[in-house]
Amino acid sequence: MAFHPRQNYHASSKSQGMSRRDFITRAAAMGLAFPTLSAFLAACGDGGATDAVQVVIGSPANPVTQPLLDSNQMISSGLPAEAGPLRIYNWADYLNPETIPLAEEALGTSIELTTFFNEEEALQKLISGEVNFDVFFPVAGSIPKVVAGQLIQPLNHEYLPNLSNIWPQLADPFYDKGSQYTVPYTVYSTGIAWRNDMVDDADVTGIDNAWDVFWNPKYADIPVGLYDDFRETLGAALYRNGVTEVHNATQAEIDQATADLIELIDLTDIKYTIDGAYAGIPEGRFGVHMAWSGDMVSAPYYFPEDGDPSVTRYAWPAQTGSSVHGQISSDTMTVLKGSENPVLAHQFLNFMLDEDQALTNFGWVGYQPPQKGLDVDYLVADEWVPEYLSSAIVRPEDFSDPRASVPIALTADQEAKLLDAWTKVQSGG
Amino acid sequence: MASNLQSAETEAVGQKTWIWQAFAMPGVVWLIVLFVVPFYAVISVAMGDIDPIFLKPQPEWNPLAWDPSAFGAVFGDLFGGQLGKIAVRTMGYVASASLLCVAIGYPVAYFVARRVEKHKALWLLALLAPFWINYLMRMLAWVNLLSPDGWVNKAIALFGFPEQNWLSGRAIVVILGLVYGYIPYFILPLYAALDRIDTQVIEAAKDLGASPRQAFLRVTAPMSKQGVLAGLVIIMLPMFGDYYTPNLLSGSPRTRMIGNQIDQFINQTTSQGGQGAALTLVLMAFVAILMVYYLINISRVTQKARE
Repeated sequence: MAFHPRQNYHASSKSQGMSRRDFITRAAAMGLAFPTLSAFLAACGDGGATDAVQVVIGSPANPVTQPLLDSNQMISSGLPAEAGPLRIYNWADYLNPETIPLAEEALGTSIELTTFFNEEEALQKLISGEVNFDVFFPVAGSIPKVVAGQLIQPLNHEYLPNLSNIWPQLADPFYDKGSQYTVPYTVYSTGIAWRNDMVDDADVTGIDNAWDVFWNPKYADIPVGLYDDFRETLGAALYRNGVTEVHNATQAEIDQATADLIELIDLTDIKYTIDGAYAGIPEGRFGVHMAWSGDMVSAPYYFPEDGDPSVTRYAWPAQTGSSVHGQISSDTMTVLKGSENPVLAHQFLNFMLDEDQALTNFGWVGYQPPQKGLDVDYLVADEWVPEYLSSAIVRPEDFSDPRASVPIALTADQEAKLLDAWTKVQSGG
Repeated sequence: MASNLQSAETEAVGQKTWIWQAFAMPGVVWLIVLFVVPFYAVISVAMGDIDPIFLKPQPEWNPLAWDPSAFGAVFGDLFGGQLGKIAVRTMGYVASASLLCVAIGYPVAYFVARRVEKHKALWLLALLAPFWINYLMRMLAWVNLLSPDGWVNKAIALFGFPEQNWLSGRAIVVILGLVYGYIPYFILPLYAALDRIDTQVIEAAKDLGASPRQAFLRVTAPMSKQGVLAGLVIIMLPMFGDYYTPNLLSGSPRTRMIGNQIDQFINQTTSQGGQGAALTLVLMAFVAILMVYYLINISRVTQKARE
C-alpha cells in the first residue's frame, strides 16, 4: 500500500474542518461595518481594550481595509528575536513535519505545534485566553471576526520581505486590503473528482455545466458522493442553477437547490461524506465525488498498491464551462495578539512565504501556496503534481475569473435559511 | 439500663453508617464532576444566546435568565417538521435492531449459560472478544467487507447472486450494523442473569411434571426477564444517539438518525449549537423514560423477592 504521511483517520477531520472554515461570520451585511460596545470585548477575554469593535466584511467587488485599533498595535521594526519557543496553532495535518526542524534551524528556536480539527473549537480556546500561541491559521472568511475580536495583531511588513513572492491577487486581498493582519497560506478550488475508469470524462468536462454530472441518471449504479458540508454542497446546487452568490441566494433559489439535491437521493443513491474524495476515489468507494483541489493533489498517495492512480481526474466547473460558477478559497497565516514571541512569529511567517519552504510544505500538505514561482508548468514539470491532475492546480488568474465565487461571510439570516434547507436535504425531504 | 444499651448500639450503628457513606464519596464526586456539571453546561448552552462577533453559543449560567426558545424550535420541528421524520425513523431502527438482538442474543446467552458443559471459559472468551476491538474499527471492517468488490459480494457471487451495492443507503444494512455493533452488550448481562438461575428451580419444575418447554416458559423466561431488560437498556440508550453507524454504512439521507442531526447542529456550524444542546436534552428525556421503566421494574422485582 502506498503510504502517505497524512494517511490516518484524522486526515478526514482535517478536511472536515477545511469545509467549515469559511462561513461563520454573518453578523454584518457585506461591506458594512457595525460598532458594538467595548464592554462586549471585555467579555471576550480582552479586558484592556477600549476601542469600539467593527466587523468589516469585504467582497471582491467591495474590498475592505480592516480597522487598525489603538489598543492593538503592530510591533516596531528592527527588534531582536525572542528566545522562544515559538508556539504554532494550526489545523491537523496542515504543516509538513519536515518543515518544523527546518524552521527551528532557520529561526534558532524550538517550535511547539498544537493542532485543531475545527476552527470553532480553536477560536473558543483562543477567546477564553486559556491558551498561549504565537501563530494561528484562520480561513480568509474568519478574518473580519478575528480582527474585530482582537485575537490577531497587525503585521509589520518590515519583517516580511517574502510577501513579495505572493500572487498580487492575494497580496492585497479583498478581506484584508494591504495584508494588514494576514498573509496567505494556501489556495484551493471546490470542484469534481472522478475516476475515468468509472465515469466518462466527457460527462464532466464535455458539457457546459459540469455540476450536472451529479444528476446524470447514467451513474445510478456507481457510487456518487457530495461533501457533508452545507455551504459547499448547497453552493454547488446553486451554481448549477446559475446562481452566483451563495451569500445572496434568495429563498426561491435555495428551495430549488434543495429540491434538486433531494432528487439525488433516489436518482443516484447520493451519499454525503467528508473523506469520499481524497480516500474514497482511490479506494473505489466513489466513482465521482465533490472535491477540494488540495485533497485531490494528495489522492494518488491513497491508492492501493495494485491500483492505478492515473485514473484520477479533477475539474473546477468554473474552468470547464462558459458561465457556470465554482468556488475558490484561501487560508491565511496570522500572529496572535497575545503572542509572547511576536518577532519570532513574524520570522516564521516570512519563512513559510519563502518559495523553497512553501514548496517543501506543499509536497506533504497537498494544498498549494500562492507563490509566483510555483505555477502550473513548474509544478507539473517538476512532478509535484501529476499531469493528469494539473487541473487541480489553482492559477492566480482564477481569483479574478468572473466565474469564480469566493466564500463570503453569511448573515445570520442567510445561514439560518441554508441550514434549514440542509436539514431537509439531509433528512430526505 | 436497657435504654442505655440501646443508645450505645444506635451510636455504633451510626458510626458505621458514616463510614459506609464515605465509601460513596468517590462515586458522588465522579458524578458531580463528570455528569452534573457537564449536564448543567448543556442546559446553559441550550438556554443561552449567541455571541455577536464570533456567532457561537454563549452559555447562560444564571437560571433566571434562561431563554427556552431553542426548545421551541426543536419541538416545532419534532412535531410536524423534518426532525419528526428523523425521530420516527430512529425509533424504527432502534426497535428493529433491539428485537433482532433479542432474537439472536437470547439463544446464544441461553446456550452458553445452560447448555455448554465443556470449555465454558472458551465460550465466555468468545462472547467477550468483540469488546477487545473498538466499535469504530469493527464498523470500518464492515465497510470493506460490504464494498462493491468486497468479500460479501464475492461470497454471494459463488451462489450465483448478482453483485449488490450494500453501502448505497439501505435501512436494513444500518439496522444490521446496529445489531452487529451492540449485540455483545446485550448478550453479556443476559448471560449473567441466566447463569444465576438456580438449576434446582428448573429441576423442581420438571419434577413437578413440567415439560422442558413449560419449564422454560414458566421458570427460565420469567427469571431472565431482568437480564433481557438490562441488556435492552444497555444497547438502546447508545443506539438512540448513534450517528457513526449510519454515517459509515450508508451516508445517505435515507438512513439519517437523530444522532446525525445533533452532529449537524453542533459540527456543521456554530450558530445552531443551542438547538443541538436542546435536541440532546430532549433525546435524554426520552431515553430517561425507558430508564425509569427499567428501574421501576427492578424495584418491583426486588420488593417481591424480599416478600
